[in-house]
Order: sequence, then C-alpha cells, then structure tokens
Amino acid sequence: MSEIQKPKETETIPFYPDHIKTEIRVVWVMLGIAILVGAIAMFFPVGLEEPADPMVTPAHTKPEWYFLALYQILKISKIPGTNITIQPEIWVSLILVALLILLILPFIVKKGDSKKNIRNRLIGSVIFVLVAIALTIQGWFS
Amino acid sequence: MRETFSNRIKVLIIIVLLFGSGILIASKAHGKQMLTEGYKIEHSGETIDWEVTENVIIQTASSQRPPDPEQDECLHCHISGSAENLWVPLTRWVTFGTVGIVMAFGFTRSVWVWRNRKPWEPISTRVGNWIDERYQTKNALEKVLNKPVPNWATRWWYCLGGITAFLFVIQAVTGIMLAFYYKPTPEAAYESIQYIENEVLFGASIRAIHHWAANGMIVMCIAHMLRVFIMGAFKAPRELNWSSGVILLITTLAFGFTGYLLPWDQRAYWASTVGSAIAGSVPDVGELILVFLRVGWNITAATLSRFFALHVIVLPIMVIVFMGLHFLMIRKQGLKEPL
Repeated sequence: MSEIQKPKETETIPFYPDHIKTEIRVVWVMLGIAILVGAIAMFFPVGLEEPADPMVTPAHTKPEWYFLALYQILKISKIPGTNITIQPEIWVSLILVALLILLILPFIVKKGDSKKNIRNRLIGSVIFVLVAIALTIQGWFS
Repeated sequence: MRETFSNRIKVLIIIVLLFGSGILIASKAHGKQMLTEGYKIEHSGETIDWEVTENVIIQTASSQRPPDPEQDECLHCHISGSAENLWVPLTRWVTFGTVGIVMAFGFTRSVWVWRNRKPWEPISTRVGNWIDERYQTKNALEKVLNKPVPNWATRWWYCLGGITAFLFVIQAVTGIMLAFYYKPTPEAAYESIQYIENEVLFGASIRAIHHWAANGMIVMCIAHMLRVFIMGAFKAPRELNWSSGVILLITTLAFGFTGYLLPWDQRAYWASTVGSAIAGSVPDVGELILVFLRVGWNITAATLSRFFALHVIVLPIMVIVFMGLHFLMIRKQGLKEPL
C-alpha cells in the first residue's frame, strides 16, 4: 500500500474549535467587506432623490432590482407570434402558484439522488438564473 | 472557613478603600490641572481667583450656546458633546480606572496565592465552575461544542447560508443604529435621512452598509437556496427545513420591499406604488391586499407607519423565529452527504 489514501468522506472534525474557526474566518472577511463598504460610502454615499411627491410621477417608475424580473414578466401582455393576450392577473396567479410549489417542493419531489438528477437540477438552476438575469437587465434598461 | 471568609472581606475592603481613594485623588488632581490649564490660556499671568473663575464659567456657559441646527458647522460635535469636552472625564475615569483595577487584581491575586499556598485559578475557570455548580451547564455545553461535523462541511458552498445569517446580524446592528435617528413620518422622514447622511458621525457609512448588506442578503439567500436545490438536500427528511427556508426568503424580500419606502424620496414612493399595485392585481383578494398594504387606496403617512412597524418589529421577529427553527433542524439532522 504505497499510494496515499484519500481521507474518507465520513471522517469528521469537532464543531469546536475546528468548524467554528472556519466560520469565524468567514465572519472576519464579511466584517472587512462591510467596513470597506462603509469607507467607500464616505465618498460615494447611497444618496437620496427628490422628496416624495404624489403629484409628480417620474418618467420611469421601477420596483427594486430583485423584483424587476417579476415586473418584466407581468409586462408581457402577448405571447410572441400569436394573438393570445395575457392579463397581468394571470401572471400574478402563476407566480403565486410557483411560490406555493416552491414552498411544498419537498412534499412533491421525493426521489432523485443520482448523478443524472443532480445534473438536471444544475442545468435547470443555471437556465433559471440566466433568464432571471436577462429579465432584470431588460427591466433595468427599459 | 468562616474566619478566612471574613478575613478575605477585610482584605477586599482595605484594597477597595486604598485604591479607590488613590484613583479619586489622582483623577481629581488631574481634573483640577486640566481646569487650571484651560483657565491659564484665557488669563495668562494672573493668579487664580476662584470667585472670578466661577463667574467666567457661568458667563461663558450662557454666552456660548450652541448655534441653531441649520447654522451649526459641526452639529454632531455638539450632540456628542465633544465641543464642550464632555468626553474628558470619561477618558480620565477609564484610564485611571483601568490602572486601578489591574493593580487591585494583582494585589488580590498575590494575597490569595500567599494565603492559600496554591496556584491561582484563572477567572474564566472560576466563573465556569460557579455557574456549573448552580445550573450544571458543563455537560450540555460540551455536548454542543464537541458535536462532530463532517470534514467536507468546510467547503465554500456550505457557507452561503451562514453568510446570509451573518448579514442579518449586520442588518440588525446597523438597523438599530439608523432607527436611533430615523423619524417615520412623511414630513420628517426625508429630512432625517438627510440628517443621517450629512450630520451623524459615520451616518452615511452605516446607511450604506445597511443598504448593500440588504442586497447581499437577497443574493446570498437565493444562492443558498439554489445550492440546496441542486444538491437535492431539500428532500426527506429535511422538508420542513426547506419550507422554513422559503418562508425566510419571502420574509427577506418583504424586508426589502418595506425598507425601500422608508427614505420617502421619489424612487421609494413610486417603487412602493408599483410594488403594492402588483400585489393588488392578485385575483379576487387583490384589492383587499392593496388596501391592507397601503392602509387605504393611496400611499400616505399611514402607509409609512405600517411599513416602518413591519420593517422593524414584525419581520425581525419572524426572521428570528424561523431562523432559529432552521438552525435547530439542521443541527438535529445534519448536512446531507454529497455524492
């Protein structure tokens, strides 16, 4: 047995101090980033726009960036290439249903631990992220 | 036993009296020196007449009122009292106090070692033993701390959830700091944010950390969720962990939505208008949701109050409860083994 054996996947480390130490290292990095953000903000603050005025509607009203993708979906009123119109209510209902499915996902999907399943979920997630990013960018510049 | 105890008390009282009086004399002497030096600057070459000094102090105090907030060049200097040297006594107490405590501790320790003829036990051991004698915490704590963790748990993609949790801690701390200065009314909200940005010491930094950490929290939340989804860790027996995680994601998004209105500028107002209008287009119950969110049909002072209450009271409680459940469940069940 001259070759070096890999450590088994079942080997463990104690929670304290080994695991805590790695977590504290992450915490230090995060704190450093936070302080860096604070330092940069002394020269480039978050800032404010004009005070809120219900009488004056700005040219572009947008939600926060993390709702932009959903907002873009709601704006789709026609399926491209067809004449079928879609009311925003239908999109909102679909999003709510999707959220509900997300909430009870483990009660629907019960199997799937093979390499193939993981690869499929990976591909699905990448497509989801790419579509979300594309919609967000589209919403950002529209 | 009893005798040693009373002897110890005696020794302690002597130490406290000795060092306490020493600290008091030293700090008084230091304070007097500071006062006379300040006085010397104004009246150089004169001997001190304490009645005159008192009058001078009263006069200057009444004539040097801080200017109005709009005309004040350094408002936070007045608010934090640095313009009036209010911090000097505290620094004095801290300096002399630290020296006094260190010396008193050294003295007590020497006396203890000399009287008991055995090596000194560290304070942490003593405090630990004291608590353990009363509440038997040692075994439970050891069990928690020595719990074995799989060695692959230190790979980087397992820290995404931890980062989210830590960002929440940052949000809580900076949020409390902002809440000290923020005023949740339409008339005062915008100005109080301006005040935080321009006048409060490090106010702009704290606000920026709160702003960017909020965005980071959402990104990390989604990244953590995708990791769990791809690896299939959401399946049985961890169903409730996934569901509580989805609830935490929704709560985080609600945090972002309610917090966005608080600055009460144009962007905030119209983003909230659009957002609540989307919530209002839910079939059937949409208008009820809209009225409930806006407290009426339009975004008004009542909306701001409601969003503020949701943002600083309701949602934090929800996050803490569900995060606690989330952590307890993963602690009990352990991480899912990767393939």
